Amino acid sequence: MVGPTATLTPLSRADGSASYRCPSTGSNILGSVNAPVELPARRDALRPEDATVEVFVKPGTAPGGVGERYIENVIKNMLAKLILGREKGYARRGVVITLATIGGESVGRGDSYLTLLPALIHTALLALLSAAVPLSMTFSATVLAVNASGEITREPSEKEAAAATSLHALAFSSKGHLLLNESQGAFDFDTWEKVHARALAICHGTLTRTSDGDVAMAEDVDGQPLEGTVRETVEDKLHQDYAWKTDAP
Amino acid sequence: MAQAAASAAQSAAPSLSLPPSQFARLQPHAYLLAHLSPPPATNQPSIRANGRAPSQFRVTSANTGSLTHTNGSAVVRLGDTTAVCGVRAEILHTEDIASWSVSRSTESSSAPTNKRRKLTDPTTKPNERIDSKDEDDNESHIQDFNLLVPNLSLSTGCAPGFIPGAPPSTLAQSLSHQILTLLHSTRLVRAEDLRIWYQPPNLGPEDLECHNENEQMDVDASQEDEKNKEIKAFWVLYIDVMIVSLAGNPFDAAWAAVLAALRDTKLPRAWWDVDNEMVVCSDAVSEARKLTLRGLPVSSSFCVFEADAASGWRAVVIPDAEEEKELDDSARKGNQRRWILADPDGYEEGLTQERICVVVDKEQGGKGKTVIQKLEKVGGWTADAKELKALVDISAQRWEDVRRILNEQC
Amino acid sequence: MADRRRINGPPGGTRPAVFASSLNTADTATGRPQRQRQFNELRKIFLKTGLIPSASGSAYLEYEPSASLAAARSSPKSLIPPSSALKLACTVHGPKPLPRSATFSPNLVLTTHVKYAPFAARKRKGHIRDSSERDLGVHLETALRGVIVAERWPKSGLDITITILEAEDDRWWGDAPDSHDAPWGMINVLAGCITAASAAIADARIDCLDLVAGGVAAIVSDESEDSEAKPKLMLDTDPAEHKAILSACVVAYLPSRDEITEIWLKGDCSRAMLGADDKRSGHDALIDGAVDAARGAHSVLAEAVRESAQRFVGLAAGAQ
Repeated sequence: MVGPTATLTPLSRADGSASYRCPSTGSNILGSVNAPVELPARRDALRPEDATVEVFVKPGTAPGGVGERYIENVIKNMLAKLILGREKGYARRGVVITLATIGGESVGRGDSYLTLLPALIHTALLALLSAAVPLSMTFSATVLAVNASGEITREPSEKEAAAATSLHALAFSSKGHLLLNESQGAFDFDTWEKVHARALAICHGTLTRTSDGDVAMAEDVDGQPLEGTVRETVEDKLHQDYAWKTDAP
Repeated sequence: MAQAAASAAQSAAPSLSLPPSQFARLQPHAYLLAHLSPPPATNQPSIRANGRAPSQFRVTSANTGSLTHTNGSAVVRLGDTTAVCGVRAEILHTEDIASWSVSRSTESSSAPTNKRRKLTDPTTKPNERIDSKDEDDNESHIQDFNLLVPNLSLSTGCAPGFIPGAPPSTLAQSLSHQILTLLHSTRLVRAEDLRIWYQPPNLGPEDLECHNENEQMDVDASQEDEKNKEIKAFWVLYIDVMIVSLAGNPFDAAWAAVLAALRDTKLPRAWWDVDNEMVVCSDAVSEARKLTLRGLPVSSSFCVFEADAASGWRAVVIPDAEEEKELDDSARKGNQRRWILADPDGYEEGLTQERICVVVDKEQGGKGKTVIQKLEKVGGWTADAKELKALVDISAQRWEDVRRILNEQC
Repeated sequence: MADRRRINGPPGGTRPAVFASSLNTADTATGRPQRQRQFNELRKIFLKTGLIPSASGSAYLEYEPSASLAAARSSPKSLIPPSSALKLACTVHGPKPLPRSATFSPNLVLTTHVKYAPFAARKRKGHIRDSSERDLGVHLETALRGVIVAERWPKSGLDITITILEAEDDRWWGDAPDSHDAPWGMINVLAGCITAASAAIADARIDCLDLVAGGVAAIVSDESEDSEAKPKLMLDTDPAEHKAILSACVVAYLPSRDEITEIWLKGDCSRAMLGADDKRSGHDALIDGAVDAARGAHSVLAEAVRESAQRFVGLAAGAQ
């Protein structure tokens, strides 16, 4: 399975940015983060000790609609809990995240964003890391489709998603918590548990505890865990940025 | 008089305790926490500030069919949250659908009655026909042609903060979208109910009399009638939800109202009138038919209240999921840190971040088997597989209650 | 341009259902509903306050369905409702501080919003307020501004929002759309708005000079067959029940001060012949009629406000 590819900081003017490409769903997202920024004065009604997180999702071709408002809310609620908005310099300021779809299928009226959701979440994470916004944990996400015969497809294409009886988007924190679950279509709880286990394996690999209590990630059928992909992308960027220093004789 | 008031004030002054209502406003988090975790010595049960047990829903009532100008309507009260839903059916002629001639697969240009269609659509070949009985192909009509149009309005003065006359807030837009996706993903409304068919005039004797100017009676009617049958129009259901009063959990109330209104919806008998080239309906109640809905998906929402509101102030190390489970089990007897509250009211919604929404159905599929139609959780990491399983069970119980409430009406 | 903040219907637009029976006018078996009330008999009003706890004051108003509508409800035959009965909800938010951008005001600033639900009328209403809804808002504001003791809340605002769940018809559905020239239903809606808003303001404990009540009277000519038919004065008319409304009038009336804060008179009232002993001119009679109707509404209003006050006393006692 071809894993996703990502680049950090493709935009020079934003505080942080990332572009992300998932070959199996065909989504291509460009995200930017500006933080901390001053918000207009009308925001004084908001909580005084915390940062305000704002998420904007821009679809590729059409102007945004109600579906974008909804998915913005979902991503915002998830991130608001992870961003350490009470760190120095963040209180009463804003973290503005903009995610633009620049490739892949566009989402129609009344369609859910489930197939795009992992790509959006990963882009948001990489952009946040690139902007050096303090986070309590990192996270990774995946989307799974279950078809009528109970087969689970990882990151389904548009066509596979349409044929599926249920679609599940799940996000896990780097410490293994279930951060987000969006499931739709008819299914029972046993199916969901299978989906949950599979998604956890995709995001974290099969967890194996070593004797000294460390948790090691192991690869399995799903290839490299997504959590590792995120880490590698950031590491690559760091290597690149500090090449002048590390490669120096 | 003034003296009496002054002395009263003096006697009241030394007491530093606040009445509960003021404490609730000043320290909302501590107030709710004090209710949920009473001191162990007092032996009081853990109860929410509104007097409900954590998994208890508010009193729900439904009333259908009270609005005159709707095809179906419902008022659902969930505690102090009130949602009014009205369903209005309007007609969408297939000639008004831009993509119809392309997407239409049941068209038969061999039908001689259909001269107009032939002119507008010369490319269709007579044999180009896909079996329209295919379930999935059928159902896509609802989504492809926007036959369901739900909109939710919060600018009714339902709560302070929603400016009347302003465009829908992001909350209203999110809720509208959630209703639409749920209508699509549960496939609640059958596309067949919304189709207005036209059977060419060689079918019934009445039609023969009315339209004998068509001269294709000699065609083998019994063979042709299925082929000649074509969709002339669709019913479009405008589902408008007005949240008249908002006191938390608007989605459950709105969805219950939509469900009740759709169960109440009657569509008149409609047919294609060849002379007027339009769809005409019969106003007889006896001829109107109700929608046949697929199942009865019922939504239940929950929120998670956390004891440590100030956790964000300090850099706390969040335990691993595995450790957390162990921690949780050990804390079971001692002091609880997190509560999952069913059907949160406005006060509780303001104090919580994590939301869980479960939509279950027991009618569809096997008897008594709980089918989950939607499982959504966002905004925290309390609810993991174990908690969600418990919530699905609570939602299944809730489904029984809601079904009883809705059945009392219909 | 499609509205991006709402879910839109089919881009080609849809058409309301056309009923076969309304196409051939000879076949109108149901016929025009008949007024079963006396000329000065009002419809019953259901008025209840405090149904919306998140607002500082609220009221719900509903008119008793007319005889024909009640009959159609109990034994439905036709899908076309013969008439409709007003249903509306009113909320009051405030007094609250004005937004910082607003200019200084020594008085309470009143804002009124009247919005029909999309399913309120026989014809589907849009989501954005149209001119008639704005018009109703302005009329309502004038009616209320004269009652509220605005100087008591400087630099404050009061938002009054009315959602109409079911509106009155402008004419009988069987009549051609242009047979009545004016939107007579709006006049009834305004009267309902005034009464409900008055109850909601009292429920919000805003100081008022009096309880303002709305009332409607109209001059109608019913008997179409004999052209000699005299136009008659009727109180609280349901436009669906009359062949032709010549003129109608709505007043916002303060009974204890005998004052009118808002008057809206439409149509031609010069032809009214009220009777040999009645020397009043047409519009005088019309206004008197509307005031009588308002007095009727006031008795309901007073009862609702009394209930609201009792509830408040109960709450205050409970809080102690």
